[in-house]
Amino acid sequence: SPRPIAARSLQDDGYVRLLRRQVEEVFRDNRMIAVCQFNSMPDEDVVLMRHYLRKHNIEVKFVLNEIVRPVLSQSKYKNLLPLFVARNILLVSPETKAKEMLRVLKGVPQINLLGACIDDTILSRQGVENFAKLPSLEASQGQTVGALALLPSQTSSLLQRGSAHLTALLDQHIRRLQAGETGSPAEPAPAQSLGAH
Amino acid sequence: KKMASKISVVLRPVKSIVVRFCPFESNVESTRKFLGCINHKKIQATNRNCEVTADVRHDGSEPLVDVMFADGERLIMKGANLTTIEMLTALQSRCNAKELQEEQKSKKKSP
Repeated sequence: SPRPIAARSLQDDGYVRLLRRQVEEVFRDNRMIAVCQFNSMPDEDVVLMRHYLRKHNIEVKFVLNEIVRPVLSQSKYKNLLPLFVARNILLVSPETKAKEMLRVLKGVPQINLLGACIDDTILSRQGVENFAKLPSLEASQGQTVGALALLPSQTSSLLQRGSAHLTALLDQHIRRLQAGETGSPAEPAPAQSLGAH
Repeated sequence: KKMASKISVVLRPVKSIVVRFCPFESNVESTRKFLGCINHKKIQATNRNCEVTADVRHDGSEPLVDVMFADGERLIMKGANLTTIEMLTALQSRCNAKELQEEQKSKKKSP
């Protein structure tokens, strides 16, 4: 089995470089990276948790602080550095199913969500919970389209009001003229300013 | 030097433990490690009814361990200036003292 990390030169060792590259890839290839404290739990529970998370395309990655810290300190994720003390795991996904992740974590009290990076935005635990409560992008887009569509339809009826009124007046005028031709006394159409309500 | 994982705590007299910390602060390591140790199955096995909760915040509050004992007593340990071992030892001695009290009480009842 490999020598412990501390015994290796953290600069040159190929295995250490590999582990660091893996951490870089995790942050590069995933939209959601959640950092959680890992408290000891039975292996069967770890397996179960992995299983339920995988259903939502979320992978569990055990990480070593000694490997993660130097990688993060050189990156735009350096504000996550304080999180990497004690024992941690990463929950990573190319999607951002925070709601589903929180639901699984609710059943695993030995795992404590500390914070996350979602779409290059660093969030606290509360931030993740707020993010999870947001409606889906499709729902928000639908709402926006609906609100925007309301305005032109109102404008359209507003614009038509003037000409609709004019049409009604002209109809009335024509009827009166026709009434005049058939012999009944013609009354001058009362002067009306167009557009008056 | 004592290893934190070697400190055995008997949680029988404990009702609940809340470990509160802001993970983005830089003074929380000993508190988080305390949380890790207290979750160890050996310690958990001493009292399955003892609720251990992590209260993860982001409001600048200081890290602390809030222990509620079954007899109503409360122990608050501020983790910013304590080591994990100090917190575990403090809890251990409190628990042992209470266990001793209980033992003496039951001895009085049934001589």
